[in-house]
Amino acid sequence: MECPVPECRQRPPTELGRKLKRIRPWVQTGFLGVWLAPLGQWLHGIPSCVFHCYSCPLSSFGCPIGIAANYAALAPVALEVPYLLLGLLLLVGAVTGSLACGWACPFGFLQDLLGKIPIRKVALPAWVGHTRYVVLVGLVILLPLILGFKGIPYGDQMISICRLCPAGALEAGLPTSAQSVMAGNGWPMSWFKTLILVAFLASALFVHRPWCRIFCPLGGLLALFNRLSLFHLRFNPKECVECNLCRSRCPMGVHVDEKVNVSGCIRCLECSTCGALEPCFAVPKQAPKPTMPPK
Amino acid sequence: MQRIPQPPVNPALRDVEGHDFWPGFIVAVIGLILAFCGARHLTAVDTVDGGNAWETQLVKAFSFDGLQYADKMSPPPPPRGDDPEAMERWARETREAKAPTWKVRVDTAAKTPCPT
Repeated sequence: MECPVPECRQRPPTELGRKLKRIRPWVQTGFLGVWLAPLGQWLHGIPSCVFHCYSCPLSSFGCPIGIAANYAALAPVALEVPYLLLGLLLLVGAVTGSLACGWACPFGFLQDLLGKIPIRKVALPAWVGHTRYVVLVGLVILLPLILGFKGIPYGDQMISICRLCPAGALEAGLPTSAQSVMAGNGWPMSWFKTLILVAFLASALFVHRPWCRIFCPLGGLLALFNRLSLFHLRFNPKECVECNLCRSRCPMGVHVDEKVNVSGCIRCLECSTCGALEPCFAVPKQAPKPTMPPK
Repeated sequence: MQRIPQPPVNPALRDVEGHDFWPGFIVAVIGLILAFCGARHLTAVDTVDGGNAWETQLVKAFSFDGLQYADKMSPPPPPRGDDPEAMERWARETREAKAPTWKVRVDTAAKTPCPT
């Protein structure tokens, strides 16, 4: 489709946009080393701010969604408030919003890599993002809260979200099953979980970040802070030439040309390439200096 | 990249979307206080060793399958061999075993990965 603005074709991406695009995969790789640190198992007592399975043999830190579901399952027996989890999520959300999704999440990084395979991507409507809140309230909080540690009638698992989580299948189920196959003990991962993993990997080829856009409860939670977070994207009308490069570049299908700090955004900052959207930190407004009255 | 044509949005009329500092700052401070309190929080859940579990120990127990529920505790297995004395002792201990006073407790030494 031809762009209606003639000058946009000549318009080069801004220096900042180019730089951010270049360094993002490296930052994501660096964070992969933080979440998958073989010596970091002693950190399991601290929740992370990204979506990754703590059953992975290499994982450090705890999965915030798994921890929340465990607290909910514990509630009928011992009602405990997850202060540490709430505090960390509030802190990360208020400072950066969903920046962790775009720059630090290992599961998002994997989907980014799968999305680079040149297959035509399917565009999803914006309303699918609301499913994330259904998952958060239904599967992470209500289901374990109602069923408690007795669990759902499927095997001996007590946590419902972990049963369905593709990150668990990929990071914990797959290595464990591979080890088991190599030892000649067969494939221990259930067919249901294997099917979820295959469906997830296949869908990531045709939809950009399918888990993040449709199901991720953590991404949905952090994205709620996008409207007030200190780090945010600001629109500069003077720089806008209506080329719509911002919306065209957005891999998440956000209507960036209308509103950018919304719940569908993962703060990958791809839209800042055009220069009209600037990543910035909120600063306290200074009171205007009193002017001297004319003599 | 597929270029999307510009819808009728006038940049001059569009909201700048600049965030105010204080709401984000206040929420961040609340988060920091909660996180600090959480790190020093002693929960009401007992540990196997006695005493209460720290919140970090409880969180760690989630990932290492370290939670023990009284309802799910199985009695000790019968002794091996044909020793009738040991068998009788085991039967007596099982019969006289009282229900535990705790409902859930944390095994801080657990190392089994959560059965995801």
